Order: sequence, then structure tokens, then C-alpha cells
Amino acid sequence: MSIRNIGKINALVHFILLAGCLFIASRFLTPGTSFSAFNFFYLDSLSAFFILTIAVINFASALFSIEYIAREAEKKGISERKAQIYYLLFNLFTTSMFFVTIVNNLGMLWAAIEITTLVSAFLVGFYNTKRSVEAAWKYLIICSVGIIFALLGTILFSYALSMHTGIKSLNWTDLISMAGRLDMNMVKIAFIFILVGYGTKAGLAPMHNWLPDAHSQAIAPISALLSGVLLKTAIYAIVRFGIIVNISLGGRYFGHLMVLLGLVSLLISASFVLTQKDIKRLLAYSSIEHIGIIAVGLGIGGPLGIFGALLHIFNHAVTKSLMFFCAGDIVNAYGKHNMYAIRGTLKILPFTSFMFLFGMLALSGFPPFSIFMSEFLILTAAFLKGSYIAAGMMLLFIVIVSSAFIFHLSKVIFGRAPEGMTPVKEPASGKLALALLIILISIMGFAIPGPMNSLILSAAEVIKR
Amino acid sequence: MEIYIIFGILAMTYVMIVTRRTLGLISGFELQSFFLFLLTLAEAFSTGNIELFIVAGLLLIIKMIGIPYFLVRMTKEIKANENLGLIVNSQLSLLSGVFLTYLSWLFYSYIIQGHNLTEGIALTASLSIILMGLFLMIFRMKALAQIIGLLSMENGIFLLASSLSGGMPFIVEISIFFDVLVSVMILGMFVYRINKLFTHVDVSRMTHLRG
Repeated sequence: MSIRNIGKINALVHFILLAGCLFIASRFLTPGTSFSAFNFFYLDSLSAFFILTIAVINFASALFSIEYIAREAEKKGISERKAQIYYLLFNLFTTSMFFVTIVNNLGMLWAAIEITTLVSAFLVGFYNTKRSVEAAWKYLIICSVGIIFALLGTILFSYALSMHTGIKSLNWTDLISMAGRLDMNMVKIAFIFILVGYGTKAGLAPMHNWLPDAHSQAIAPISALLSGVLLKTAIYAIVRFGIIVNISLGGRYFGHLMVLLGLVSLLISASFVLTQKDIKRLLAYSSIEHIGIIAVGLGIGGPLGIFGALLHIFNHAVTKSLMFFCAGDIVNAYGKHNMYAIRGTLKILPFTSFMFLFGMLALSGFPPFSIFMSEFLILTAAFLKGSYIAAGMMLLFIVIVSSAFIFHLSKVIFGRAPEGMTPVKEPASGKLALALLIILISIMGFAIPGPMNSLILSAAEVIKR
Repeated sequence: MEIYIIFGILAMTYVMIVTRRTLGLISGFELQSFFLFLLTLAEAFSTGNIELFIVAGLLLIIKMIGIPYFLVRMTKEIKANENLGLIVNSQLSLLSGVFLTYLSWLFYSYIIQGHNLTEGIALTASLSIILMGLFLMIFRMKALAQIIGLLSMENGIFLLASSLSGGMPFIVEISIFFDVLVSVMILGMFVYRINKLFTHVDVSRMTHLRG
């Protein structure tokens, strides 16, 4: 079977999965619905929201992969076998991400997140160049160490449960029902470990070192998955523990830590983004920024803050995938990662560049695109709560990152194309993936569709309880 | 009895932190896992729990025999320099190890009121094993030391879980074993790749990606 056909089948499978996930999500629109099976699986609106986000990005990435991988195979001499391995790993990767969101046992949650690292490391080191192997090694080592601390935290959580109640369990549902009787000191310490551990995987500064390397060296469709949804699965894990912490200790502890880490991430991103040369590293640093915004939103809390953070998770996933797809096409057309050598993409790749332009504006937080909405909500929540300093700092960093973004990318798009370069043909399936994402960005910017709104609302309800 | 075994685990970790040679590090890990196996076996006999016997068996097969064998073979195949590349010399490393153990003891006495000696020793030992694993990962230049540091951290977590909450649920334990096995295999494959591309396995000289 040709590589293109494998890609088409893969996209079809992920389309069906997306439809299935839409159906699942539609079951969880009312607050308080939950589903559990075999004392092992557990789904509620929060899981459903993450499942939907993952499914959307998976489908877009599968769609984009068809031509991208086929062309890589033709141009760079990736063998047919290697392309098949790509699709195998792609599916293992997506499956493990789905698995994260549906397990009840927090130990299994840990194992699932570790598996996502192991599988995606191959996709980071896929090109087998010095740089990509170095990035993959760094990714594997830093994330594995980080996540060991998360396991330590998980064990301490189960100890906090057994100290006063005598119950031995790692199930989230057990912990949540007994959250009031957990040992408070232990919960505080355990959550620090959780935050360090899963925070590493989520790319929260100062544990973010691996992220720019891994995200910039991976294949474009995988970069989109890494930035778009893999980081969010780690956020999902943090939130699951955060809910327990909130009940056990009150909202302040979780809130302060998240706001602090979020602001540090924003600061790191703002300081590094200006000096970037590599176009994909620029996007990776922007991911750190947006993870920071999400963390601030979750930390600020309140109905508005949490709603904004969840909305931002979806919006960022969609927008960042669009950007990575475009960047992948651009890098391939020019054969370079260095932004100073990439100029005038508008002439060479008209459709992609248009999408890239819209994506750039959306990512920088311009209205009417969706990220403006969620950033606005989070800022409003911060102001309403009286966290003026946090809000002010967040706004400042967002402005810095956005202006750096526009400074760099507008030259890439509008500059003078190199002499003798001719327009490159853009494949239909790639265009379709980009169009799908830009439509989502625009719709979510103008008005959140009713069912999506109620899904996010009931997911926020899970976090707030 | 248990206390002696735990001291054995701790002693092996000190050996790992002192050694300068790759093969010495691997044997240190092998023995560390052996003591962990003994501990689990002792617990299995005293409780008569079938699941614990299986866990002990897995420890023996995977961590004591399988992984060290794989690592030794890899060291020989890539003809890595025997020297581990110590950023901090042996004596200072040992001193740091002792200090880390002391830190773990302080941490333990801070978080847990009402001391129980066996539990205290187990907790202190496991925390310091985790920290020393991290120390190995940071202060050794060779890629292999990072793998073993990671494994040692994992052993520390295992000890912590078995002494603190009476072990994790069986299915979690199994999936963690599976994870460890897979991660060692994958890390090993990357060591081969690094060796082929860079013609060395010195992680401190991998500096293509900056900023």
C-alpha cells in the first residue's frame, strides 16, 4: 500500500474517532454526569472536554500528515517502512493520550503519561539527525525524571488518604470523596511533587528546558500534537490533583502556586521569544506562554477564570496546530529553520501564508479570533478578583510576546522572497486541515457554539466543586 | 531483618555513587535491585500475598537480571570508555550522598509525626535513594549513568511505596514495571543512535540546541 493511502485510511479512522468523541462529549453536557466502569475507567465532563480537544487535533494532524509524510518520503528519502512506522507511532501516541483522560486510578494516569513520553520521543527523534536525537534524549531524560517526582507525589497522596482513614486506594473517586479527611500537611507536600512532575511535562517554567528543543525538532504534524494536546494532558493531571487539593486545603494554596508558575512561564517566554531565530522554536516558546496563561487562569479560579482557562486550552490547541502545520510547510519549501533566511512566503505559499497570517494574529490575541476571548475572560477574572498585579504582569508579558511574534513573522510572510524561488504547490488535504482549524478559530472567536459552551461549563463545574 | 535489607539497599546506592566505572555502576544497580527483591520476598512470605510473590519475581527477572544484562551488553557493544566521566569526584560524591541522606531524614521528621523506627529508616532510605539517583544523573557525563540514575530513582520510589502505603495496587505495579522495561529499552536505543551519530556517548558534549 502506498504511503498516501495509509495516510488516508489513518485520517478516516481519526475522523470516525472524532465523531465518536463528539457523541461521547454530547453525553456529558449537563453538570454532574459521570460514568465509571470496572473501578478502572472514569469519565466526567472534564474528561469529555479533554477527549474532544484531543480528538479534534488528532484528526487535523492525521489529515495534514497524508501529504506531508508522503512528500517527506519522496524528498528526503524516508523509506516506506519508516513512513509506516510513523503511522504506527502516531496511533500509539494518540491512543496513550486518550488513555490519560479516561482512567480513574492515579497510578495508571501516571503510567499513561509516561507512555506518551516514550512513544513521542521516537517521533521527536524521527529524522535521526544530531539535533533531533539530542532533542529526543533531552526530552526523554528530563520528562522521565520529572514524572518520577509525580509518581512520588501520587504515592504521598495515597498515604495522605490512608493516614487518617485507613483506606488504601489510588482511585481519584476515592480520594475526592475522602478529600476532607486527608492529612493536610501531606497534601501540601504531595502537591508540590505533583506540580514539579506534571509541570515538567506541561512545559511550565522553570521545568520547560526540553520543550523548545523537542517541539522544534519533531515532524510538523507531531509538533502540533505535542504543543496542542500533549501539554494539555499534563495540565489535565495537574487539575485532577488540584481538585482534591482545593477541597482539602481551600482554594488559596492551589491558586497561588498556579499563578506563580504561570507568571514565571510567561516571563521566561517573554524573555526568550525576541531572540529566537528558529521559526519552530519561536512557536515552542509561544506554547510556554500559553501554558502559563492557562495556569494563571486555573490559579485565579472562580467561574470565569476556570471557564477561560478551559476555553484557552481548546483555543490554543487549535491555533497552535494551525501554526505548526504552516511552519512545517514553510520550512519544507525553504529547506531552512532560520527565520532570517525565510522571507516572502506569501508569494511562495499563498494559501498557507494567509492561514499563517491569521494564525499569527489569533495567537497574538487579536479579536475577533478565539484566543482573544479566552485571554480576555482570564484577565477579567483576575481583575474581578482583585489580583491586579498578576493581571498586570500577565498583560505585559502577553504584549511583549505578541509584539515579538508579529515582528518576526510579518517579515517572514511579507518580506522579499529569495531570487529564483517559484511558488510551491499546496496539497488539497493540507489545505483542508488548515481550513478546518481556521474555521474553528473564527467560530469560537465570535460565539462559542451552544453544546461546546455547556460542555465547558459543566467541565468547569467539576473543577469548582 | 527488614532494616538490614534496607541498609543493604542504601549501601549499594553509596557504592553506585562512589564508583568510577560503568560496569561498577551496573553491578551496583544489580545488587540494589537484589536487596529490593529480598525485601519484597520477605514481605511476601510474612503476608502470604500471591501478588507480592509475582512482584518479587518481576523484580528479579526484570531489574536484577534483564536490565543489567542489557546494559552490560550495550556497554560492550558501543565500546564505551570505561570511565563514567565524574563531574564531582568520588570522595565529594560520597559526602554529598551522606548529606542527601541527612536531608531526607530531616524531611521525614518534618512531614511525619509520631516516629516509628522501621518506617523512618525505610522512608529516609527511599528518599535518599531517589535524590542520589538524581545526583548520578546530573553529575555523570555518560548517557548510561543517566539511565541508571533514572532506574535508581525508580527503585527508590518502589521502596517508598512498599514501606509507606503497603505497595501500590497490583495493576499499577505491573504497569510501572512495564513502563520501566520499555523506557530502558527506548533509552538504550537512543544511546546506540547517539553513539552512531556523535561517535561518543558523552552527554555533556551534546550542545547543538541552545536558547
